Amino acid sequence: MSRFPKGLIAATLAASLMLGAGATAQVYSKKTDAQKRAEDAAMIEKLRLFGDVFSRVRDLSVEETPDDELIAAAMNGALSALDPHSSYVPPARFEEQQVEQRREYGGLGIEVTQELGLVKVQYALEDGPAFKAGIRTGDYITAVEGEKVRGKSLDEAIKGMKGLAGDPVTVTVLNAQNVTKDIVVIRQQVRGRAVRHRVLDGLGYVFLETFNNDNLARDLERALDDLKRQIGGDIPGLILDLRGNRGGLLDQSVDVSSLFLDGGEVLSSRGRTPEETERYHAKPGQYDADMPIVVLINSGSASAAEIVAGALQDRGRAVVLGRRSFGKGSVQSVIPLGSPVESLGALRLTTQRYYTPSGGSIQGRGIMPDLLVALSPDSGKLEKRFREDSLRNSLGNPDDSDYIEKYEDIDYPPEDWPIDEDYQLSKAKDLLRSSRYQSLVAEFNR
Amino acid sequence: MKYIVPALGTIAAVALFATSNFKASPAIAAESSKKVDTFKQLELFADVMARVRSDYVVDVEDNLLIEDAINGMLQSLDPHSSYMNADTFRDMQDVTAGEYGGLGMEVTSDSGFVKVVAPIDNTPASKAGIEAGDYITEIDGESLIGMGLTEAVDQMRGKPGEPITVTIVRKDEDPMEITMVRAIIPQNRATYQIKDGIPVVRISQFNDKTESSMKAAITAARNDLGGKLPGLVLDLRRNPGGLLDQSIKVSSAFLDGGDVVSTRGRRSNDVQEYSAEKGDMLKNVPIVVLIDNASASASEIVAGAIQDRERGLVVGMTSFGKGSVQSIIPLRGGRDGAIRLTTQRYYTPSGRSIQGTGIEPDIFVSAEPEDENARKTFRESDLPNAIKNELEAAEAEKEAEIKIEYPPADFSEDGDFQLDKAIEILKTGTYKTLMAAAG
Repeated sequence: MSRFPKGLIAATLAASLMLGAGATAQVYSKKTDAQKRAEDAAMIEKLRLFGDVFSRVRDLSVEETPDDELIAAAMNGALSALDPHSSYVPPARFEEQQVEQRREYGGLGIEVTQELGLVKVQYALEDGPAFKAGIRTGDYITAVEGEKVRGKSLDEAIKGMKGLAGDPVTVTVLNAQNVTKDIVVIRQQVRGRAVRHRVLDGLGYVFLETFNNDNLARDLERALDDLKRQIGGDIPGLILDLRGNRGGLLDQSVDVSSLFLDGGEVLSSRGRTPEETERYHAKPGQYDADMPIVVLINSGSASAAEIVAGALQDRGRAVVLGRRSFGKGSVQSVIPLGSPVESLGALRLTTQRYYTPSGGSIQGRGIMPDLLVALSPDSGKLEKRFREDSLRNSLGNPDDSDYIEKYEDIDYPPEDWPIDEDYQLSKAKDLLRSSRYQSLVAEFNR
Repeated sequence: MKYIVPALGTIAAVALFATSNFKASPAIAAESSKKVDTFKQLELFADVMARVRSDYVVDVEDNLLIEDAINGMLQSLDPHSSYMNADTFRDMQDVTAGEYGGLGMEVTSDSGFVKVVAPIDNTPASKAGIEAGDYITEIDGESLIGMGLTEAVDQMRGKPGEPITVTIVRKDEDPMEITMVRAIIPQNRATYQIKDGIPVVRISQFNDKTESSMKAAITAARNDLGGKLPGLVLDLRRNPGGLLDQSIKVSSAFLDGGDVVSTRGRRSNDVQEYSAEKGDMLKNVPIVVLIDNASASASEIVAGAIQDRERGLVVGMTSFGKGSVQSIIPLRGGRDGAIRLTTQRYYTPSGRSIQGTGIEPDIFVSAEPEDENARKTFRESDLPNAIKNELEAAEAEKEAEIKIEYPPADFSEDGDFQLDKAIEILKTGTYKTLMAAAG
């Protein structure tokens, strides 16, 4: 290993910081120059400490580690401590991401990301073999074929998952209950279907599985047309099922909301300063202004799904029923690093939070349903659900007022409720058929 | 997804570096290009930190940002390397001074979880039934996913008398919450018992009283047996280790000079050899050393030395495999905290590295009855990023041929099958045959 003079490391870090900070200095006029200088000096002192540790690791560690791996680990250490969605993306991985934003892996029917050094199931397709074997959205994969994933890049980690259809693969899964188990999945050809619809007791029912589909809003409109055709007239009531929907493309959430809203705000995203606020609006005109809508959500409804539920709720266009949603209301910017000539990867950094039209942030709290209805039987206490705020060091909500579900507010299925009957769906149907829907909506719009 | 055009303001710094260091000599060209790469990486780091400060959704504390970066870098090396800030470093010194309470277990990190290496005898952890290989997933209801080992250990420490509830996940069992009361961790002395006429000396940790109390125990046992020792069992099971010098002194008691252990760093000249003093206090007395998968570090040094020097038989199950040395390196005299860094590995007298593979017993004897679903023994090689042992592949091949003796199905639950076997070996005279075979 080439020795790198310690003093030079400190000087390098300091020079880089000064120049880097200069580019953004004007934005924060709130701070006085003196304050800023003091902060920069403290930061340079800290960078000197970092340089000190870096050089000692290079000199003394029992095994030689390449510089780029050390620095990547350092950056990820800092970023993952900020929140679970900020990270450093190494050059090779960034290159791939640019080629295709979304990847489907090896016929297991799951989409994965890397989080906390583990592979996280971002989305498990309901028809997919992984889902059938018991893997759920939000689970962590800790090993593939007994090979630990921690300490590996995402690509390396999932290498073992790829393979031929029909071949089994054993993955070790850590689920939301903190239980680890080995699950054997038979690889399969899988194709996603984002919209599913059917007529249900004379009402329209649409299930949106994901927002990771460029044609989602268009497909939804077609599904509504088909429901109309099947019913032979206007849809007397619509159930929009967003349960377990982990979100996806932001523009699709705006387009889907727009289908049911006649202009007006759908959401805003806000950063640290007011100048950074961006507002998204619905197009004028809506699908069927008189059609009552119940939106179903649960703790697995995240991001784009929460934007839709929040917009329709705030704008008094729908009644939201189910359980408090996941609470993923933050925006990550992908900032390319290096130069056009040589990529050094990218920084994935949380820069903004989503806000519903009434000005509430989704981050960390999610959407609270108008009617709290449970799917699983009453256990006598509030069961823990895995949400954004269960993640360690998740980014909080700017509003810290009470926002938890209360056990006594939740409508649980009666004791003799059949186990294979969907209580939330049944309550949604009841609501659409009763006059209560109108009185609830009238109440919201007052 | 939004892209922000990068502000490339660091070119000047590159120039500064280039003018001050490049020499126009082709011989050092490769070296220079390596330095440029290092420089580029440091610049990248500073650039990312600057962006986080300016663009992150909320204000960031610079202190924590860099500390987390340092910790991220160190923890990526291996589970035992970490950063302690000035406060934690001071606390750690208090702990060694005995002013802090704890639970009394050696822990390590595995896939982002805290995993128990071994509970120490007579501590809250061992009394509460914590077992080697247990995962600790929550402390007082708060998840530990992604938490650094140092931070988790820090949370478990506290004032003696303070209660703490940990959530334990044990393979094939539901998670359970165990409440314990923190206590000053006792500096256990070596103890002894006479079983079937054979003295059994138990060492549960290596602290500064270990050598003296072991010698006292052996002397007392000798007196009990009328001055004659037919053999000795040295029980190092569930002993997570401790002080290196004590492991050398303990080994030294049974060896007449010669190598005990060596530590080797990355550079070939970074070798330290530790030798036994002249004189064996138990000359010609047969010794059986008992180990299991929770015998770590200092325990493995003793077992490895006795085995390699053919001074006794090692009986039980393959040990944990923690054969790495961490140096505590204070930064600016501790004002900036300290780093704990893996700088060396232990090697037994025959040159085997303990790291990852552990010490394999001469005679494999299991404490548990044979069970197809038995939980996998937990060893260092299961750890993420565990430093690869150069000999790992060869060891794995050998594993296929291992014969393990299991207790019979009707063996009493209160019994100690491994100890019974050790005594049997010493009493029946098979010791000599086995020693010859092992040698």
